[in-house]
Amino acid sequence: MSTGSYSTRADLRARERALKVLYERFCDILKDVMEGREPKLMIKRRTLSNTIYDPERKLLLLGDATLERSFLDSRESRKFMQTMLMASIVHEALSQGEYPTIRDLFYRGKHTIRYRRLPSKAVGEENTWDEQAESDSVLRDIEVFTNVLREDMLILSKEKGKVVGDLRIRSGDDLIDLSKMGHGAYAIEPTPDLIEFVEVDADLVLIVEKDAVFQQLHRIGFWRRYRAILVTSAGQPDRATRRFVRRLNEELGLPVYVISDSDPYGYYIYSVFKTGSITLSYESERLATPNARFLGVMMTDIFGSRKLGKKPYLSEEERRSFIIRAKERDVKRAKELKEYPWFRSERWQLELDEFLARRVKLEIEALVGKGLKFLADRYIPEKIEVGDWID
Amino acid sequence: MAVVEGGFRSISPAEFFYKNKEIAGFSNPARALYQTVRELVENSLDATENYGILPRIKASIRELEVVPEGAYYEVTVEDNGVGIPPKYVPRAFAQLLFSSKYVLKQSRGMFGLGAKMALLYAQITTGQPAEVIVAPRGSKHVYGFRLKIDIGENKPVILSFSTTSNISGAHGTIVRLVTLGDWIRSKQRIYEYVKRTAIVAPYAEILFRDPEGNCILFERSIDKLPPPARETLPHPHGVDIETMKGVLKSLADKPIAEVLVKSFQSVGPVTAQRILEEARVDPEKISGELSEQEVESLVRVMRSYRDVKPPRADHLSYLGEEIIVSGLKKVFDPEFVSAVTRRPSVYEGHAFIVEAGVAYGGRVPVVEKPLVLRYANKIPLLYDEGSDVVFKVINEKKGIDFKVYGIEFPAPLVILTHICSTKIPYRGVGKEAVADVPEIEEEVEAALREVLRELRSYILKKRRELEEVEKAVEIAKYIPEVARSLSKIYGVNPREASAKLLEALNSKLRSFKIADLDSVVNWDEHR
Repeated sequence: MSTGSYSTRADLRARERALKVLYERFCDILKDVMEGREPKLMIKRRTLSNTIYDPERKLLLLGDATLERSFLDSRESRKFMQTMLMASIVHEALSQGEYPTIRDLFYRGKHTIRYRRLPSKAVGEENTWDEQAESDSVLRDIEVFTNVLREDMLILSKEKGKVVGDLRIRSGDDLIDLSKMGHGAYAIEPTPDLIEFVEVDADLVLIVEKDAVFQQLHRIGFWRRYRAILVTSAGQPDRATRRFVRRLNEELGLPVYVISDSDPYGYYIYSVFKTGSITLSYESERLATPNARFLGVMMTDIFGSRKLGKKPYLSEEERRSFIIRAKERDVKRAKELKEYPWFRSERWQLELDEFLARRVKLEIEALVGKGLKFLADRYIPEKIEVGDWID
Repeated sequence: MAVVEGGFRSISPAEFFYKNKEIAGFSNPARALYQTVRELVENSLDATENYGILPRIKASIRELEVVPEGAYYEVTVEDNGVGIPPKYVPRAFAQLLFSSKYVLKQSRGMFGLGAKMALLYAQITTGQPAEVIVAPRGSKHVYGFRLKIDIGENKPVILSFSTTSNISGAHGTIVRLVTLGDWIRSKQRIYEYVKRTAIVAPYAEILFRDPEGNCILFERSIDKLPPPARETLPHPHGVDIETMKGVLKSLADKPIAEVLVKSFQSVGPVTAQRILEEARVDPEKISGELSEQEVESLVRVMRSYRDVKPPRADHLSYLGEEIIVSGLKKVFDPEFVSAVTRRPSVYEGHAFIVEAGVAYGGRVPVVEKPLVLRYANKIPLLYDEGSDVVFKVINEKKGIDFKVYGIEFPAPLVILTHICSTKIPYRGVGKEAVADVPEIEEEVEAALREVLRELRSYILKKRRELEEVEKAVEIAKYIPEVARSLSKIYGVNPREASAKLLEALNSKLRSFKIADLDSVVNWDEHR
């Protein structure tokens, strides 16, 4: 193993562990090959039908259905080859002390196979993979097969999530104080499991879907005033942000609140934090935060609710200027959400029904339009205080 | 050629046939040349295979002189047949409708005219006599005749006769005549005829020399002859008034009950009594004395009489699966060939057998729609395909759907059908198409479906094998990649891992193995 001299101890440990697991998990394939048996990979299926919602744990999990990927089955041989190729590339990167991205892995593995078709003997050419979607897909299979997430194999991705707050962490060999980030914020590293929480002084975690709103809240010192760890996912949360939030909740015992746009896409972003996503359901167990709460923006925040005895935060006139007409695809998406088991609660059905009846949506920015102070000093603290969130 | 002594009669004068020569296929010089070759070759085949002799036939056409209507051609056909005894030669070759008694026999000739019509036509158009040389089997002599027909009297005229000793011990017949023809217009037809004849006579060696000096030889590919055709009595269900009158005339002085027993198959004294009772004819009545009404009544009863055995088929001469297969193989060199001989069946009192063959792939020409080689009593039917029963069976819209059998046109496919019977129900005077009699249609369809089913299994098997080859490559091409991947993780020798993978793949393949991985995929060593 020739790891670079600058590698941290945390990285070294992760490498050794990942190498060992990879080596052991694919050992059966090696034995099959060398002993003349048909090599087969048994991998849990990553399909919607094998994605199961566990209402007890409030998690989206991978079911038990497995697929048998046999090299000697012509329908599976290409995928088998790609899986083995990906395993060898990841193994190589790990043992050489590298930090590839999924894009790097795609390029490393991509090359042309030249062969002869029979019986015509015509020369054929084929790439090991043509699109990153293919290499990404087998990487997911390897994560499922080895039960090691890509972060733990030191595969990096673009940093998207940011965090500020009264929290000190150790990343690599450095101690970082997240309350001293100036106007900036700490970019959550792609390997959040290598972060060590050193010290924290906060009461809650607030996740803001929109980066701009995150910055505004940061600049007016929201997190200091309300003792919050402020996080943004800047849209759909990446894996690192989800894992980081999960650890804040699980290890530091902080309640997690999410605010997003009031439309089906915003609601789904919340559910990804809370229960996991369909495509990455195998990781939910480590990435999801089942205790995360949806703070807003709710349909009932906009229109109030007689049923809940709730008054609207917006006046008739404000509504007229802030709300946007929902598009056809928003309506379609809302109908899909209504069917997902993790949106089946009475409270969610009420919100979704309201959306479908009104056919309008609202962005968080609209609340800032009413005044940043309104958002920071009334809307958020008031809702947390009275417990107007959806679990 | 069956010639039986006793009771020869001239039914109709030669003159009549000359005036109606279209009926026998001599309507113009082109058609006449084709018909001449055909009649002589068929005579030769009958003279050999019916007597257990493997045929060796030489046919040649030589152009002698160009005339306004075409040209005079010398046509010579030579065989190694039995060679009829010299005393029958003049009548056999130069007297029309020379027949002895009312028996049925499957033969190639359509009218019992055979070569006689060819001789008659040659004589009328060129004025030259025909030359016939015979060496009967076992004869110490070879006999030569120069013959003409006295058209008015329908009698042979012997212009010269010679005898030489048969030194070699060979036997057979040579017929040579000079006739008016048109080679250019009949060339294609004659070649087609010779080729199609060779297909169903793979047991024959046929040499043909055309007037341009080209030679084509069809070698013998099988030593087995089809069962010879044998004579049989007519079956009561197949009788008609004309046949009945002939039968009555031939035994005019005998009681009718006895005549029925002697002249029909499956009719014993009891059956004869019952038939006559039903027809209200006195069994004791002398047959020559039956009234017109009695004859009609008798025929009607016999045709529909239930309590008789079906017509016998053991006298029919079918080709047999082996011969059809051999013939198709010889001429088309196909990849797949199959044939079937159906069990005998009956229509209107006549026994018949249908056979079918199919040749596929190899050198079989690719056709846009099914190509059928039709035969009746071993003679190729070349024309009038559209009105033939076979055409109806394979008709694109209502007939057999070839897709069901895995065949998509254009396809390298040729189909053969053979119908043999003592009476082929031809459609029209051309005698080139068989009528769609329901019983025959049914048998033709069943025969075709049977061979097509076998072809289908072959095509499917081949397709499966091809798929397996394709699938094997789909897997084999990834072997080096997988082996290299294993080698990177575990440090094993990639060549060894790849050999193991190939071995595992090969053990799973059934119809095909990959001997050498390098023949399928590049190793690309520098990676």
